[in-house]
Amino acid sequence: MLKVGAPLIGLAIAVVLVVAAIFLFKTWWGTPPTALGFSVLNLGEGPTQPIAFPHTVHVQDAGLDCQFCHRTVSTEEAAGIPAVQQCLFCHDLGRIDGSSFDANGNKVPGTESPEIAKIRNAFYGNPDTGDGPAPIDWVRVHRMPDHVQFVHSPHIQAGFSCSTCHGDVASMVKVKQVQDLKMNQCVDCHRQNNAPTDCATCHY
Amino acid sequence: MGLTRRQFLKWSGATGVGAVVFAGCTVPEAEIRVQSPLLLPEDLVTGRDNFYATTFQDGTSSEGLLVRVMGGRAKKIEGNPDFPLNTGKHGIRSEALLQALYHPDRITGPFIRDQKGGTLRSITWPEALARLAEILKDADPASVLMATAPVRGQLAAVTSRFAAAYGAEHLGFDPLGNTVLRKTMVDLYGQEALPDFDLAKTNYLLNFGADFLGTWVAPTHFMRGYGEFRQGEKRSGRRGHFVHVEPRMSTTAASADDWIYVNPGSEGLLAMSMAYVIIKNGLGNADAATALTGGRGAAALDRYEPSKVSAEIGITGNHGADRIEQLALAFAAPENRPALAIGGGGAAAHTNGLFNMKAIYSLNFLVDSVHQPGGLIFNPSRLVTQIPAAPLRTWSATVERMRAGAISVLLVRDANLVYALPGSLKAEDALRNVGAIVSFSSFADETTAIADLILPGHTPLEEWGSDTPDPGPGYATIGLQQPVANPFSNTMAFGDVLLATAKELGLEGDLPWENMREAVQDFMRGIHAADRGSVSGGTFAEFWHVALQRGGWWDDKNLVISDQARPPQLPIVPETPELKGDAKDYPFYLVPFESQSLGAGQHAHLPWLQATPDPMTTIAWQTWVEVNPRVAKEMGIRNDDVVVVESGTGETIEAIVYENPATPHTVVAVPFGQGHAQSSRYAANRGFNAFQLVGTLEEKETGALAWAANRARLAKTTKRVSTAKYEGSVPAYELPDDKIIHITRPE
Repeated sequence: MLKVGAPLIGLAIAVVLVVAAIFLFKTWWGTPPTALGFSVLNLGEGPTQPIAFPHTVHVQDAGLDCQFCHRTVSTEEAAGIPAVQQCLFCHDLGRIDGSSFDANGNKVPGTESPEIAKIRNAFYGNPDTGDGPAPIDWVRVHRMPDHVQFVHSPHIQAGFSCSTCHGDVASMVKVKQVQDLKMNQCVDCHRQNNAPTDCATCHY
Repeated sequence: MGLTRRQFLKWSGATGVGAVVFAGCTVPEAEIRVQSPLLLPEDLVTGRDNFYATTFQDGTSSEGLLVRVMGGRAKKIEGNPDFPLNTGKHGIRSEALLQALYHPDRITGPFIRDQKGGTLRSITWPEALARLAEILKDADPASVLMATAPVRGQLAAVTSRFAAAYGAEHLGFDPLGNTVLRKTMVDLYGQEALPDFDLAKTNYLLNFGADFLGTWVAPTHFMRGYGEFRQGEKRSGRRGHFVHVEPRMSTTAASADDWIYVNPGSEGLLAMSMAYVIIKNGLGNADAATALTGGRGAAALDRYEPSKVSAEIGITGNHGADRIEQLALAFAAPENRPALAIGGGGAAAHTNGLFNMKAIYSLNFLVDSVHQPGGLIFNPSRLVTQIPAAPLRTWSATVERMRAGAISVLLVRDANLVYALPGSLKAEDALRNVGAIVSFSSFADETTAIADLILPGHTPLEEWGSDTPDPGPGYATIGLQQPVANPFSNTMAFGDVLLATAKELGLEGDLPWENMREAVQDFMRGIHAADRGSVSGGTFAEFWHVALQRGGWWDDKNLVISDQARPPQLPIVPETPELKGDAKDYPFYLVPFESQSLGAGQHAHLPWLQATPDPMTTIAWQTWVEVNPRVAKEMGIRNDDVVVVESGTGETIEAIVYENPATPHTVVAVPFGQGHAQSSRYAANRGFNAFQLVGTLEEKETGALAWAANRARLAKTTKRVSTAKYEGSVPAYELPDDKIIHITRPE
């Protein structure tokens, strides 16, 4: 019979435990990072987006409603990510953009931002690099596991505010997940509000 | 025991692998992305679905459709319940239009080839239109040919006016076209428009070769009528009786009460023999009998006495003649009226096709079914010009002109000459002698692949148009086609290109419209002015809006009033079909047939249609040959063997053997549709092209392609292929209370 030395077995167990710990950490406590209460390896931050879009400016300063951009939140499953074209409602030439001046020749605030230039480049193509128009790939902040179906519209129609789950996005420069949104939270809230708690409500 | 260097390396390696494995357990990159599309979908505001009505012309058939659109994207197609021809149902080819819209291999924009045989280069639309105008300005109009699929409605008006104003020749191309059927209707009934068949009220339907429940003329429309014919609630419990005559067991044959095998090309002989029996027994309309026989009575048709022709027809055995007699008596029996005889498909595609068709449709005179309830119903004369398919005779001459270099410019839209002209015409070589080929097709089919300039057209869901169905439902009908989604690629509607080019060439006097939408509106102004039909009154804007919403306009209160046409005299001597290949060398009749999903190959680029199993064999994605099991046994071949099918022309294709006990031992049957060299990733290099087997024999009078007039032989190969078929994938069980009905005689 093959004889294996004790230190080797110890090492093997240690390795398995470490790997399992990494796995558990990443999959369960990894999202949202705040579940740990502290930030490790940047995990406490929201992801870095291709364009540093500040919700603060748009919601607090400009006073836009969430639904102005997330148009389908009250009618569909997904809240919806706005089309680049919609950004250009305001950030197109002659408006709040890199052209620097409005129709009356006055300087427009927020003009030289390279982030806004990225939006125009995405829509019209980038004259410097020669790249054509391209959709923007944002990094998802909130993601339900594949076996969960979450539909926004009934929650909004029942009168819940976006901030119930998403926190005070209006004051976030970089959006991050603030609730852990695990099943216990869903079920607790459904119970408190007499919403159905059958398995098939979410797992279908 | 200490840790050696080797062990340390081993374990650190294993730890690394473990880390990679667990990292793989996290969410995949694609799911972390969430995308801002570039453009705002035009109707995303409410997040609700919209339904747009439109029309799809597929060859002869016309289907009114409702398309569900969400976020500016067409999502699902349904039949339009209002549209008189399909009344809420639709065929698979309509269903698959979505895949044409979103096809990954659509031509994405205009292309040009700087020299013959060179590579294609992408250009802009202004450049492409300028180049087209330049080509047409430089060319002699008499040497310019426009080739399109048969077109109707306003597109036909625009294309034919363009061709006439410019001076070019315009030919319709449909390899399995209805030239002989149209000629029959003109000769027998004096009808330019194809008649409708009132299947819903028929009691006895006799069909010669027309696969009207699968592919022939307007299958969805006929299926609606057929449903009523079999189990309609208004029929007071009487189920219609259906007899089908065809050399192959088709979907339609499988639906019949009686399926009668006849030798290919002898359908007319059977019909004549039946006419003889009916007239001899005094069962038919006496006036019609007099006219059909030139006043001589049954004696004039002596030559068709059942006992003289039964062997030639292939209804053999001791009682062959009796069988014909019984069939004729049943067809003409007063208690079975209204009875209806129809025919087409293979019966028309012989050298004696017109003889066959006239004989078949003449039977309707004898049973008083011409323009009568339960019989043929005439359609009003056409509202708009239409471009029917030109016969093979014209195409053969045209191909020779191409070969001789007499055609300088070919404008081609959805007419795949390279693929679907008979192999022996060698059309591809001839096309290489054409000065400039300009293609307007949305997909790179075999003809577009050798084009010098490509101006890709919209798919049917993106363009404006109208359709005047032929056959209609017995009254004037217009289907309106509107874009249900914005163009998905950088394409331009064929009609719009012609209108823009007409302007460039100074032809706007004949084509006064800016675009197809305006052309259709202009036409509909005339309909609005008539102030009748399904939508009428109001301002034109109101009328236009409502007509678009309903999918068109129809005048169901105004049926055609027509005198019974006077029957012409039947021929005294039969015309026998000529077949390519003699019976000694080529023992089988070659029965090629249109694929229910792929048609004559024009739909092979759509994967849903490729994956749709053939209803009879359940095979998808492949080309098969139907062989009788006894024949297969004698030849030592079996299911899934690859054989070489050689037609009387000497041309060959390979096909997979499908043993079918319902295939007569004299017949091998091969579907059209596969064997593309181009036409997208789903069609290319898949199966074999049965048009290769078809000879250039013509129907004697009309010059139409006699695609069924070939004999064939099979040769074994050593190859075997696993067939993609549904059949046999689930075992059959005999339920205790439900005995299996054997339809074939046990060995």
